[in-house]
Amino acid sequence: MRHHLILRVITKLLVGPIMLFALYVQFHGDYSPGGGFQAGVIMAVAFIIYGVVFSLDHVQRVLPPWLAHKLSALGVLIYAGTGVYSLLTGYAYLDYAALSPDHPVHGQHYGILLVELGVGVTVTGVMVTIYYAFTSRTPIMSDEAW
Amino acid sequence: MRSLFAVVMLSGVFSLLSALLFVTLDAVDVAFTEAAVGAGISTVLILGTLALTSRYERPSKRSNTIPLLVTFVTGAALFYGTLDMPNLGDPNAPAQTHVAPGYLLQSPHEIDVPNVVTAVLASYRGYDTLGETAVVFTAAVGVLLLLSGLSRRRRRKPKGDT
Amino acid sequence: MMDTIVNIVSWILIVSGSFFAIVGAVGTLRFPDFWSRLHAASISDSAGVILLLVGMMLQAGPGLIAVKLLIILAFLFITGPTSTHAVANAAFVSGLRPRQLPSAKTGTNSDIDPDTKPDTKPDTGADPALDSENQPTKGDAS
Repeated sequence: MRHHLILRVITKLLVGPIMLFALYVQFHGDYSPGGGFQAGVIMAVAFIIYGVVFSLDHVQRVLPPWLAHKLSALGVLIYAGTGVYSLLTGYAYLDYAALSPDHPVHGQHYGILLVELGVGVTVTGVMVTIYYAFTSRTPIMSDEAW
Repeated sequence: MRSLFAVVMLSGVFSLLSALLFVTLDAVDVAFTEAAVGAGISTVLILGTLALTSRYERPSKRSNTIPLLVTFVTGAALFYGTLDMPNLGDPNAPAQTHVAPGYLLQSPHEIDVPNVVTAVLASYRGYDTLGETAVVFTAAVGVLLLLSGLSRRRRRKPKGDT
Repeated sequence: MMDTIVNIVSWILIVSGSFFAIVGAVGTLRFPDFWSRLHAASISDSAGVILLLVGMMLQAGPGLIAVKLLIILAFLFITGPTSTHAVANAAFVSGLRPRQLPSAKTGTNSDIDPDTKPDTKPDTGADPALDSENQPTKGDAS
């Protein structure tokens, strides 16, 4: 691993902007291409690239496996919870007008943001979980093995 | 092409090219997803799988005739299907006349987000997206049930300077 | 008048950038061994990308699009050489050495045959020449 100094420095440099870009895609999805799914994938890529270049132990210190599992469930909960909230306040399931009864159009905006957040959180959790599941079974390889 | 590593890299290149194809068709959201998932994550995941198994495909004794024939017939059928398709951007195509004009006309009043794709995805088709999210979640549950829990990390004997 | 000058300059940049990209692609296909192919792929690619993006920035004019292109430029400026370094590093670690002239041959690397790499997996049974052929694909993908 001693050969990978440049790779490590560049990765450290890039992980932050990648996460920032994921957040931009997430919350700017109303105005530009993108949305929850893409943002979740990009956010997961930030973790995966860190895990690939450093090691699984390092990235699991930042995002432990149990947290990734909980995140992937939490996203579905946010999504479905939005629907349940509108159900409880007397609207149809997933009718975002419930979030802002005076201004149905604003309610649509809030609803889309919440729902996309749910999708993004789920996708991040799922992608990181799958990556962990695959990589934690791989034996640690020396450079020469490839 | 027995080297599976090269096959994985080629499939990543293929994903990038199809992302470019989607850009040409003005489906930027789909292209975005394809580039991020197809070229990014799935390549890494397949590489991880490759590290679990072998890097080279074992030569197969069976003949290639039947798979070649199936591929050829399927490809010919798909090409035959494209003959009936409407031209690209044809305003009278079924895709343009069914629900798309309704969404395009109503979404500025009802939802008022500039990206109509997001409006359709998250609001008009909210149930579908909820289903998709559930599917993604189910995928994670399946992978976890299959792959983790049983085995701890096996460490290969350290070789050399690592 | 100003518009015309900006247009001409930007198109000169875009066309020369495309030229570099094509030259890089031809070099990647035609060069004899891995290191020269990597050289062709990386350096001309960086030059082409810079010229193309600067040309596009001139076309877009000052504004958000130019800033986005600038960010893409910075990103490619960092990641391109890094990926080239990673590919070259991987090749070097796995035992692929640059072809040396007989006069310049020193004692350090001469015991390693340039075409073989230490293969720790006994069951693969594939020829290493196939492997060294596939490495430029890696450079293209990254």
